[in-house]
Amino acid sequence: MASKEELIQELSDAIISCKKDAVLAAVEKAKGVMEPAEIIEKGLAAGMNQVGVLFERGKLFLPHVMMAADAMTAGVKILEADMPAGAQKKTMGVIVNGTVEGDVHDIGKSIVSTMLQSAGFEVHDIGRDVPIKNFVEKAKEVNANMIGLSALMTTTLPGQKGVIELLKEEGMRERVKVMVGGAPATQAWADKIGADCYAENASEAVAKAKELLLGK
Amino acid sequence: MATEYALRMGDGKRIFLTKEKILSEIEAGTAHAADLGEISALDGNELEKLAEILMMPGKAVSVEHGMEVPVTHDIGTIRLDGDQGNSGVGIPSSRLVGCMVHERAFGADTMELGHIDYSYKPVKPVVSNECQAMEVCQQNMIIPLFYGAMPNMGLYYTPDGPFENPGDLMKAFKIQEAWDAMEHAAEHLTRDTVWIMQKLFASGADGVNFDTTAAAGDADFYGTLHAIEALRKEFPNMYIEAGMAGEMVLGMHGNLQYDGVTLAGLWPHQQAPLIAKAGANVFGPVVNTNTSKTSAWNLARSVTFIKEAVKVSTLPCHVDMGMGVGGIPMLETPPVDAVTRASKAMVEIARVDGI
Ligand code: B12
Repeated sequence: MASKEELIQELSDAIISCKKDAVLAAVEKAKGVMEPAEIIEKGLAAGMNQVGVLFERGKLFLPHVMMAADAMTAGVKILEADMPAGAQKKTMGVIVNGTVEGDVHDIGKSIVSTMLQSAGFEVHDIGRDVPIKNFVEKAKEVNANMIGLSALMTTTLPGQKGVIELLKEEGMRERVKVMVGGAPATQAWADKIGADCYAENASEAVAKAKELLLGK
Repeated sequence: MATEYALRMGDGKRIFLTKEKILSEIEAGTAHAADLGEISALDGNELEKLAEILMMPGKAVSVEHGMEVPVTHDIGTIRLDGDQGNSGVGIPSSRLVGCMVHERAFGADTMELGHIDYSYKPVKPVVSNECQAMEVCQQNMIIPLFYGAMPNMGLYYTPDGPFENPGDLMKAFKIQEAWDAMEHAAEHLTRDTVWIMQKLFASGADGVNFDTTAAAGDADFYGTLHAIEALRKEFPNMYIEAGMAGEMVLGMHGNLQYDGVTLAGLWPHQQAPLIAKAGANVFGPVVNTNTSKTSAWNLARSVTFIKEAVKVSTLPCHVDMGMGVGGIPMLETPPVDAVTRASKAMVEIARVDGI
């Protein structure tokens, strides 16, 4: 029989292959040997992280990321039946993501939304050139845990600060985390405006969102 | 205490580094490019030379005598009268004045006429206006004047265009539909750019510039390569320049090929042969600046990629140098110390044919 390490490797490889059949087969094989949570965390999610890295390196492309996410969802569904009630539908967090006012660059922001969604977050992508108040209104409406702010130009970067200030005015800053990104943003900028985190690319955005919202 | 030299971060911030630290940043930057592009890193002499350029005492530096290269200016017509939202300086002036100032006062070797929206699609409804502007400029100028704009294929997707946004389709796991939308958009992009350039050539344009090719990913690259191919067939002597949007072709589609090569994930040295095959005359490679890293790291990384592109390219390479690309910090008006150092390194180490 395959060892646990081999099974974990197989699960992760199956996700990286982006093939649903392979993922379902690997999950079936691992089911009797490992706990569902372990299969998800150490196998499927680890594979998904690798998919993100390969995407950043130009080795896997957006449709592959989506296929891998789809396969992972199918794998998790099989496992949910065996999981104790309550542990089943663990929501990872609600994120409102958009590009700040005056800025129409939305390619990177959309990739970030896609990757966050693939990782299991509930993502509300509110588009580009979004007025400051719309971020806060949407966050209220969907009871968001986090707002993602993209800016691709040095001239629109201050919009990220504007959202943080409005969140404070509305008394919402404590319960809504803020993640900033886009080419001109840096860790130093995030610190300066009091954002909770900065991420350089989409896979880092997923890792940081998990860290902030799930504590891992 | 060891001497410290004034450098920049990728966001323009002033920093002071010792020679030792500069060399270690350069080594890390070149290694990063070598790893991603699977190409060779800069050798010992090149690392030294790059450090020397970065540590030169002058505020502005220049290339050695005899190593001057042509400088081409994109969008310059708008740079004067455009406002900040357009990266301009807001001096009220016509596009003719903009072109002539670049020719006669700024010393541009070639120039480009562009439209305020600077994408091909919005030129369609005002093409007569563009043709007239081209004619007037040509009558007043000597240097080659191109027409240029961005392929910007995103304009063919909702909310700006007829095809559903593949980003939204993808998020709904409708992958086939997303592929279809991208392929249709690419067809429209090819058709529109060819139609626009037929008109502008009839009005005397000396060439065409595809600026920020592949901004919307591999399908944008696909549509542009086909436009270049069609234009080359129709106008054998037309001068065609194709500059890229970023260092790597984003894989939004993933499966599109040109000349048997998958377009997604290509780095500058892999883009060059395809641009040549399609029939362009000049290739404009791009390397992005990382705002969180030092100028030593960024420049070493950029020079490594561009050097390889120059090496394999059969076409002259005019590297894209500007705010946030080519090792230059990302600022509205990039600092002269960084711009001139990056330019010197591109010419003397990467051996580019133009900027
Ligand atoms: C594509 C593009 C465009 C397209 C945008 C199409 C679209 N729908 O998005 C178009 C053609 C419309 C465009 C227009 C303009 N552009 Co433009 N554009 C670019 C370009 C070439 C690529 C940007 C891109 O999509 N990169 C690819 C994606 C995947 O990367 P990314 O956006 O960086 O995203 C990644 C990370 O930053 C991060 N991230 C992004 N968002 C977020 C959000 C969060 C929360 C997190 C955590 C992370 C994160 O993760 C992403 C994935 O890894 C850049 C140059 C470059 N090479 O970067 C210029 C650039 C950004 N543009 C620039 C400019 C000036 C403009 C214009 C003003 C040009 C003009 N004169 O008209 C207009 C602006 C109009 C406006 N008001 O916004 C400048 C900005 C310079 C500056 N000093 O700020 C740049 C740097 C080019 C340059 N050097 O001139 N542009």
